[in-house]
Amino acid sequence: MQRISSANRVFPGALLAGATFGIGFLLVLFLAASAFAATPSWQPTASERLVKLPSSYLKKAVDRDFADSELANALTDVNGRIKLKGQTLTDLQAAIAKADGDVRTELRHQFLAEKQEFIKMMGEQQEFRRKQVQTKVKLYEQLLARLERREAGMTPEKAELIKRQEAAHQRFENSVSQVDMALFGSPEVSESKYAREYAKNMSAIEAMVQAIKEHPMTAQAEVDGKAVTKQDYVRQLIADNQAEVAILDQEGTILGYMAKLVALDAMALSEEVASQQGDDDSGVTDEKGDVSLSSSVDFFISK
Amino acid sequence: MNITMKSLLAPLAVAVVLSTGAAQAGTLENLERERAILVQTLLSPTLTPQERADKIAVSKSRLVDLERMALRDESLTGLNRPVVRKAFDNYDLTFLVHASVEKKVGLMDLWLDQVGISTHSLMNARVGRR
Repeated sequence: MQRISSANRVFPGALLAGATFGIGFLLVLFLAASAFAATPSWQPTASERLVKLPSSYLKKAVDRDFADSELANALTDVNGRIKLKGQTLTDLQAAIAKADGDVRTELRHQFLAEKQEFIKMMGEQQEFRRKQVQTKVKLYEQLLARLERREAGMTPEKAELIKRQEAAHQRFENSVSQVDMALFGSPEVSESKYAREYAKNMSAIEAMVQAIKEHPMTAQAEVDGKAVTKQDYVRQLIADNQAEVAILDQEGTILGYMAKLVALDAMALSEEVASQQGDDDSGVTDEKGDVSLSSSVDFFISK
Repeated sequence: MNITMKSLLAPLAVAVVLSTGAAQAGTLENLERERAILVQTLLSPTLTPQERADKIAVSKSRLVDLERMALRDESLTGLNRPVVRKAFDNYDLTFLVHASVEKKVGLMDLWLDQVGISTHSLMNARVGRR
């Protein structure tokens, strides 16, 4: 038989509390995950193809991919509904201005309900926009990591090798005409087939390289009018999207205040309606609207 | 969802792959082989001067092309392998024909100079144990 001690008494209680907390935490996590999973999705990946795209085309490619996604469709749909709701609110506002009495009260009530619905839709829209922007940030971060991993492959030894290769190439370019003259200058020695074909193709290659350089789609990406590397451009895209997240947070605050105002308006309308009902003169109520004996004296003293 | 846009990006992807160049198998190896044949010809004691001159002329014209192919091979850029590093460590030894014309010296003279064989070193050579 186990001896009774304070540790024995406390342990079962702590276990219960821990289990309750754990279950609660898991439940919250599950609900959050379910909620997140329930929103329409967009799951791009930073594939090798995206890494190799010219910087100027990168943003357009990502936007185009988003446009084909479930999330974009949902956002378009909610934006459409918000526009219609906005029109409804405008119409109701105009109607309220012209109405009076019970009709006006009814319209105001409807106006509040529509505003509530509007706020709910805006919240949904903000959730979609937030998901879009957060996905973009994650995508660009993955892309940047891939670009940086490529750069990390440049060891000092490799860099030294490339430097030597460039120097060799430069030296070769400087001496090629001298070598051609020395080796192929005499009529007895003719150029090889490789040399002839190479020279023929070279002009075509140079023309195409020039055309590629001048092509607007290969123009180096710019930030504030200055040409930047691909990594710097991706960092700028990340910063721009993070700024959009901050703006969304601020819009969330605005939405919160809107919701509060709607709630306050609803309370005010409710009180107004209640007091109107209270003003109804039944002859048995006092100024406060409470049933009062003295107020009903007139029934008895007048004939 | 992967970013595909097949109809728009497929040509671009092909172009990117082609522009980076699939590795041309063995431009350096071919060059090294031909240079070895040239050096063998230069050092061969069995050839007559005329035979040697004829063989050198043939080797030279082949080597010019092979040296140019190796220098223009973009797949070697940054290819950090011992063969590539050794080749570009010494331009004069690797690209013998171009270097000899550039320096206006004979092939044999340049090669001997690059491997460290000079009249002085030959005159000071002694047979002995290491």
